[in-house]
Amino acid sequence: MKRKVAHPAPTDRELTGPRYWRSLDELADTPGFREHLEREFPQGAANLDGVDRRQFFKLMAASFALGGIGLAGCRRPESYILPYGKSVEGVVPGLPLYFATAMPLRKSAIPLLAETHQGRPTKLEGNPSYAPHGGASTLLAQASVLDLYDPDRATAHTKNGAGLDLAGLNDLLAFVGKNYSAADGAGLAFLAGESGSPTRAALVARLKKKFPKAVWAEYEPVRDEPPLAAAQVAFGQAVKPLYQFAKARRIVSLDGDFLAAESGSLYYSREFAKGRRVRTKDDDMNRLYVAESGYTITGGMADHRLRLASSHMVLLAAALASRITGDSDYAKFAEGLDVKPEWLDACAADLLANKGTSLVVAGAHQPATVHVLAYAINAALGNIGETVDFVAVEPPGAAALADLAAAISAGKVKTLVVLGGNPAYNAPADLNFTALLKTVPEVIRYGGYVDETSQSAGVQIAAAHYLESWGDARTVDGTIVPVQPMILPLFGGLTEIEVLARIAGEPTVDPYALVFETVTKIAGGDAQAAFNKFLHDGLLENSAYEKIPVEFSAQRTSRLFAIASTPVALSRTNLEIRFAADYKVDDGRFVNNGWLQECPDPITRLTWDNAILISPRLAKELGVDPKGALFQVARRELADFEKGKENAFVAEVTVAGRKIRGPLHIQPGLSNYTIVVPLGYGRSVTGSVGRDTGFNAYLARTSDAPEFVTGAVIMVTRERMILANTQQHWSMEGRDLVREDNFDDYQKNPGYVHAIGFEAHTPSILGEEGDKMSLARQSTEIPRGNSLYVTPKFTGLQQWGMSIDLNTCTGCNACVVACQAENNIPIVGKDQVSRGREMHWIRIDRYYSSGSADNNDIPEEPQASVQPVACSQCELAPCEMVCPVNATVHDEEGLNVMAYNRCIGTRYCANNCPYKVRRFNYFDWNKRSIGHFYEGPLGPDGMPELLKMVKNPEVTVRMRGVMEKCTYCVQRIEGAKIQHKVKVAQAGDPADIVLPDGAVRTACQQACPVEAIVFGNILNPDSAVSKAKAQEQDYALLAYLNTRPRTTYLGKLRNPNHAMPDLNRANELPYSRQELELKMGRPADGEGSGEGKSSDSPDVGPPAARTGGSA
Amino acid sequence: MSKIFPKSVNSLPLQIVIYLFVLSGIATAAITYYMTPKYTRVGYAPVQPVPFSHAIHAGQLGLDCRYCHSNVEKSPNATVPASQTCMNCHSLVKANSPLLAIVRASYQSGDPVPWVRIHQVPDFAYFNHAIHVNRGISCVECHGQINQMDRVHEVQSLSMGFCLTCHRDPAKYVREPKDVFNLDSPRIAEAKGEVAAANFVHDWKINPPQNCSGCHR
Repeated sequence: MKRKVAHPAPTDRELTGPRYWRSLDELADTPGFREHLEREFPQGAANLDGVDRRQFFKLMAASFALGGIGLAGCRRPESYILPYGKSVEGVVPGLPLYFATAMPLRKSAIPLLAETHQGRPTKLEGNPSYAPHGGASTLLAQASVLDLYDPDRATAHTKNGAGLDLAGLNDLLAFVGKNYSAADGAGLAFLAGESGSPTRAALVARLKKKFPKAVWAEYEPVRDEPPLAAAQVAFGQAVKPLYQFAKARRIVSLDGDFLAAESGSLYYSREFAKGRRVRTKDDDMNRLYVAESGYTITGGMADHRLRLASSHMVLLAAALASRITGDSDYAKFAEGLDVKPEWLDACAADLLANKGTSLVVAGAHQPATVHVLAYAINAALGNIGETVDFVAVEPPGAAALADLAAAISAGKVKTLVVLGGNPAYNAPADLNFTALLKTVPEVIRYGGYVDETSQSAGVQIAAAHYLESWGDARTVDGTIVPVQPMILPLFGGLTEIEVLARIAGEPTVDPYALVFETVTKIAGGDAQAAFNKFLHDGLLENSAYEKIPVEFSAQRTSRLFAIASTPVALSRTNLEIRFAADYKVDDGRFVNNGWLQECPDPITRLTWDNAILISPRLAKELGVDPKGALFQVARRELADFEKGKENAFVAEVTVAGRKIRGPLHIQPGLSNYTIVVPLGYGRSVTGSVGRDTGFNAYLARTSDAPEFVTGAVIMVTRERMILANTQQHWSMEGRDLVREDNFDDYQKNPGYVHAIGFEAHTPSILGEEGDKMSLARQSTEIPRGNSLYVTPKFTGLQQWGMSIDLNTCTGCNACVVACQAENNIPIVGKDQVSRGREMHWIRIDRYYSSGSADNNDIPEEPQASVQPVACSQCELAPCEMVCPVNATVHDEEGLNVMAYNRCIGTRYCANNCPYKVRRFNYFDWNKRSIGHFYEGPLGPDGMPELLKMVKNPEVTVRMRGVMEKCTYCVQRIEGAKIQHKVKVAQAGDPADIVLPDGAVRTACQQACPVEAIVFGNILNPDSAVSKAKAQEQDYALLAYLNTRPRTTYLGKLRNPNHAMPDLNRANELPYSRQELELKMGRPADGEGSGEGKSSDSPDVGPPAARTGGSA
Repeated sequence: MSKIFPKSVNSLPLQIVIYLFVLSGIATAAITYYMTPKYTRVGYAPVQPVPFSHAIHAGQLGLDCRYCHSNVEKSPNATVPASQTCMNCHSLVKANSPLLAIVRASYQSGDPVPWVRIHQVPDFAYFNHAIHVNRGISCVECHGQINQMDRVHEVQSLSMGFCLTCHRDPAKYVREPKDVFNLDSPRIAEAKGEVAAANFVHDWKINPPQNCSGCHR
């Protein structure tokens, strides 16, 4: 009933019917009325003192006419119900429809289900039909729906700045084709991004046939797949590796961020989590060694993390290879490696002990030599075919950007068609591509935005968003997936394949027909049936790349090593720069996406900017080591924080005469003399969101060293710059927030979480009786509640609860943006984020720990622990008792609900929330027009209609002065309950109204790539969430406050190798645990209070006792 | 001082207090009466672009509600029918009536007929038709005897208080599921007595939400 109908406002023509209550004047002006009036008061009656007598009477009469019904002025404005003229098949107003589609990104795509409300997509979920992803999705996929409604998109086709209609554009494209067909395409060049689309590949093949002399070049600034050259050398075949992390017990990553930054990272994350997840002490757990220069998500998950410059990774790979293969030839390439030999010996021994179940992965940005060494190690360990498969891929047929640049310089290119990408911004600096573009007589640019490249292009073709396009793509394993349009192009954009087909002069240019042709040709059989199934399932079965057996050849690889250069030692005056794709804006393509800009970086927690990341050691040498303590604890902060704003030094990095300038952010865990610069920011021509964010790191990037370069120097300027950092505090200060243990210690003591922190030192808040209760009884009866506030009665059929597994959570942020999309959460901008007013309902806390209680120095080798925190839905919620208007209360199912229409904005609740998860709308984020958000009620109204279209109609859009927070996706809960009740009533079994397990999935749970979040009914002992909470490592955050949160966490585990030299004490504990014990004392040592309980004391409540009771 | 202030002034403070009480009482009563939906909404009967009569279609002809409001059993929205639905019959019946010109034009062009919304709950309240009609709440409870209305008017206030009277005591209002779309049928409590109604509520486990999350999201 309460959906926002997406129809446009009624036009005048539609409103030709009588309009009675729009205003009195109109009412009085209806013909019947006029006639009536004219009879009583003939025209020309005298006016009274300038008051139009007739008007006066008209109004009076109108008022009388309405008198019997009510005060017209107090009424709501008239609104309309606008049904379809002709019914649309399948559309039920009020119910969403789901269609299978896919988000293409470079060569691989993520299969998705798009939720559409009356034709507008509002939310994307992973397509569960695609088993390797199991319905999960990524941060970028979740945020991509916002790009569709970006008002800054290219809205028209233009030629030399003037508008070009579709017919004119089609003529122009056909003319290009005709013009060059005589010369076999000489003078014609294409520059495209990478794509896995079979239709595009087919079109390119036909294009090359038609224009044999044309140049087809492909360029991607970011490499997310291992170089094909490495496999070509190692195996003599065009193959690419597909890792099977679930089968790997020992994993070594050589600068690889396979959990987040590489093609297939969604699949890899899921598989990695399978080997990581520990449900009982009999489960196995994988071990992850990471050697890396920066600090990545993968590094945060590491059991052993080695800081090593990217350029030295080849030495490490060679050292490992020589130890594992026994081939001493490799040893000579390892000279100059600055790593303890014990580290290498222990790591190699661990791998050798796990032949066939280990895996060595090299980062996609690493050169072919490192990959070849990794293949050599995997081959020697017998991992090929076990933990790593090789699949046949098409050998590359495209020219490189440098070849194209050479052709342009030689004057051989008369017409350049730039298909997507943004080379003027992100091409290597040494090519000087912007200047080159200007020398090409005709540049036709196809792209979604008017950007740097458009500046040098005569013709700009507006591109359709993938949610407006017909297309196809391939997932990382090669499965062909459809790209289906959810909506007609909002700005008349074209698809890439249509543009290509028009230039090629194809008989069919309709993208649907082109995709149909490609897919049905591959599928075979009944074309229409096959295509319908393809669209229905969202994938083409059995279309994955073929796995082929490969044979590693050491002889072939020797040539490669002969030409490899030896890396040099790094120092303050010879720094290494690592150019990394940003986790959020990628290579710059998502820079105008507000959800991504405001999402904190998983590691640095920076928003709206990138920064030059430097190691603490380098910071000290540069003298930018921050001084002064922000908190009482004697310690220094990451950087200077002034009233919560990170006050960063601005520095200038120079490499080979090229300079970049940006704020410094000291990042613990970086290789000492590597500086990391995230790409994608500092755009000169972009939309209103991406403007003035960050600095452009492409300026120092050259084609000979696109991934990392040595020989850089850094100079700190006197300038300072404010960065919006959402987490100023990097240490847990020895608190028990994230509870960690080592795997072997856990096996001895599975209830370790209960031996940590305050609860370990105090009697149980549940009392003896409460400890024995089942989870269901505990949560409904509230043993020893003892609150003056009236305890809510939990009489609902379902009691909702959530379990978050800290052991598998990587901190990838997919849940943060999924929640934002589902719950209409606004973005607030850099200024407000730096005041701590960001609105995310779920945040991910990232802590560093170094094993030392005295955190005076920024740790150089920290362990990172991440913890997603949303409203915990406390059973005894502190926020409720302070609300003066009962706007936040409990419902019977244990939800701490927020009635927005009741909230008067005192913010007492946020003040009283120990978890700090309540968010306040300081401004009208959903009402004011763009650029006027900070003017409060004075700002002009006028949020663009386009931006309103992304809103979820199931969730209230909140206004200024209203508190909001996580609701466990109450709209999904209520929707599922209603749907279930309707179903059982219609099936004739109306009393069966308890929801089956899994009927409700929260947005964060659905998006989570590693299934760390489990949600469900804790009254049902067989539900997934009850089982998760029954695990012994289940604990509640700040449980000693007696808030009884419904969201609990599963403790984190690390699985270190005790033979490794980087453990500084025998039988080491994770760093955070060491800090805690240094501060609080080890419960087992009896340092706690008199009530302190040793870790293996039975009454602490290894929750077997808690849950095994009277279920 | 007595020359300045006569004796009668002594009671003035009390009088002021009494007047204030009375005045604020009147103001409260007036606002409660004149500004609540019970007063402002009930009886709202706008003129529709097409003078569609429920009395003829649902009353005389006996069309089922669900012929036009086809999604009422599965969707939150009852669905105001597309012009196409009207044309199913009116391409044959009264095919040339001038009253139906707007519907015919809408069917041809695909543009909607701008029906004036009568029943409206605020944007922050999420009412769902499907759950009500599937579990024994008839159309008539909120919409009144629509089958007797030539021009539809609002019968109930549709305020939160109105919703809660039923949510607090559903037994008084439930109908047999087969009677939900029969607007002249009696409630169970009227036909078979309150015990039968209470039994129905018990057997069907009808427990309408009375907390915020039931309607506000």
